[in-house]
Amino acid sequence: MESIILETRHLTHTYAGGTSSAVTAIDDISAAFYSGEIVGIIGHTGSGKSTFIEHLNGLLKGSNGVVLLEGKDIWANKKEIRKVRFKVGVCFQYPEYQLFEETVEKDIGFGPKNMGLSEEEIARRVRTVLGYVGLNDSYLSKSPFDLSGGEKRRVAIAGIMAMEPQVLVLDEPSAGLDPRGRTKILDLVRTYQKQTGCTVLLVSHSMEDVAGLASRIFVMNKAKLAYFDTVAVVFSHAKALETMGLDIPQITKLFERLKENGYDVDTGIYSVDAAHKELLRLLEGGARR
Amino acid sequence: MITDITIGQYYKTESLVHRLDARMKIILTILFVVIIFLCKNYLSLALMALLTVVSILLSKVPFKMFLKSIKPLLLIILITAVLNIFYIHKGEVLFSWWKISVTTGGLSTALFMAVRIICLIMSSSILTYTTVPTLLTDAIERLLSPLKVFHIQVHTLAMMMTLALRFIPTLIEEIERITNAQKARGADFESGSFLQRVKAMIPILIPLFVSAFRRAYELSFAMSCRCYHGGEGRTRMKQMRLRWPDFLALGLFICVMAGVILLNHFFGAVI
Repeated sequence: MESIILETRHLTHTYAGGTSSAVTAIDDISAAFYSGEIVGIIGHTGSGKSTFIEHLNGLLKGSNGVVLLEGKDIWANKKEIRKVRFKVGVCFQYPEYQLFEETVEKDIGFGPKNMGLSEEEIARRVRTVLGYVGLNDSYLSKSPFDLSGGEKRRVAIAGIMAMEPQVLVLDEPSAGLDPRGRTKILDLVRTYQKQTGCTVLLVSHSMEDVAGLASRIFVMNKAKLAYFDTVAVVFSHAKALETMGLDIPQITKLFERLKENGYDVDTGIYSVDAAHKELLRLLEGGARR
Repeated sequence: MITDITIGQYYKTESLVHRLDARMKIILTILFVVIIFLCKNYLSLALMALLTVVSILLSKVPFKMFLKSIKPLLLIILITAVLNIFYIHKGEVLFSWWKISVTTGGLSTALFMAVRIICLIMSSSILTYTTVPTLLTDAIERLLSPLKVFHIQVHTLAMMMTLALRFIPTLIEEIERITNAQKARGADFESGSFLQRVKAMIPILIPLFVSAFRRAYELSFAMSCRCYHGGEGRTRMKQMRLRWPDFLALGLFICVMAGVILLNHFFGAVI
């Protein structure tokens, strides 16, 4: 198995701790992420997903528990916390609202510049990541405010990628985009991961998006970690997921219904290929019976 | 840090003062200011202090909230008191050194001024603690409506105030969100010289302005879509109506004012 890159142990965060209005946003979360995998983080609104990812790059400090990056506590040296943020790149929801520079080139270069890299290195990285997000060099001198919504989003994501983080965390990267824009973003995440081999954590509401991309799924429910397993295993808990207010992929629903109607099928099906195989197996099995 | 801002702070609870008409509360607050400047001796000042304490008790807002409202103005109170001690030369000289002398009259005036300012702050705090900001601007609009005669757009001004108040929490949230996003890109707000720190604010300020303008456009579109066309012929969801407690409160204040004038007349003036 690959090596663990990022790990949380008993991570707990309580807002307004000690007072009567204390709210536990995340509760005792222990999880390990391996280098080079894509993990989908899903959960209902208010389940603590966003709070969780804010801990991964040290924007928040847990009231209990630790976050380990390559086996080292990220809070071991308070002054080094910025270096953690370069290694765990977090791209928040609607990242296009963080753009501020005059040109796309300068904006993408903001992160690398903060890292103290040389001009040549920054220029190289900016051009590389622009390619990752499917934009060409003609965008470099444009103002980020003149771009379309989808392009702005991609420039903002490129701004995080340019720091060449070992772990890239994307919070709802496809939220508010049309279907075409969504597919584009998800495709570029996949390409980026293949080319750089880094770990990607993808926060999403959409099960279908996650199912098509991730190898494992991390499900949060009411501040707790509900499931963290392979996609097939997680989707086989369809009923439980639905009570958590989560939607399962259409194709998984179909197999749920088949099972309810007395067919002996595997309910952890989420892709057309797997469904095809399972249906064939069922038909042949049926013929046998 | 930024969430400590107390502008338009409202303390939610049920009380007689909360239920008073907002317009009446504004009038009473102004009346309070007038009366407290009429006070000439300690007895009349004590009467006003009593009125303040009674109002606070009736409002059911915890006393420590009022202490909190005085805290930022403590320096001003102290400076006023100290200046009075050194500048007023009346009565016995208690202490004298070089050109500075402290007199009983000076001390007395300093104390008088301090109590007066504290009462002023507390009375205006009662108004903001017990009245929802939107209701307050609504009441200001009503009270200023006679200015329409001079072609002053009272409604527009009040609407601007309401919207500004409404968007304070939204913008604070926005600042936090943008700050987090830039921190995630390694922005450093904590170290460096003063100039560097000011420069470090640019990545926050530009997105903040962009989003504020975007929100303003969206809001104005949304308002136009609902046929908003200014104050002309516009009715209200909540009609303001004066009830007997409002008149009772006004009566109480008028009695106190009469009391203050009488006390001023029958007992000597200190100030």
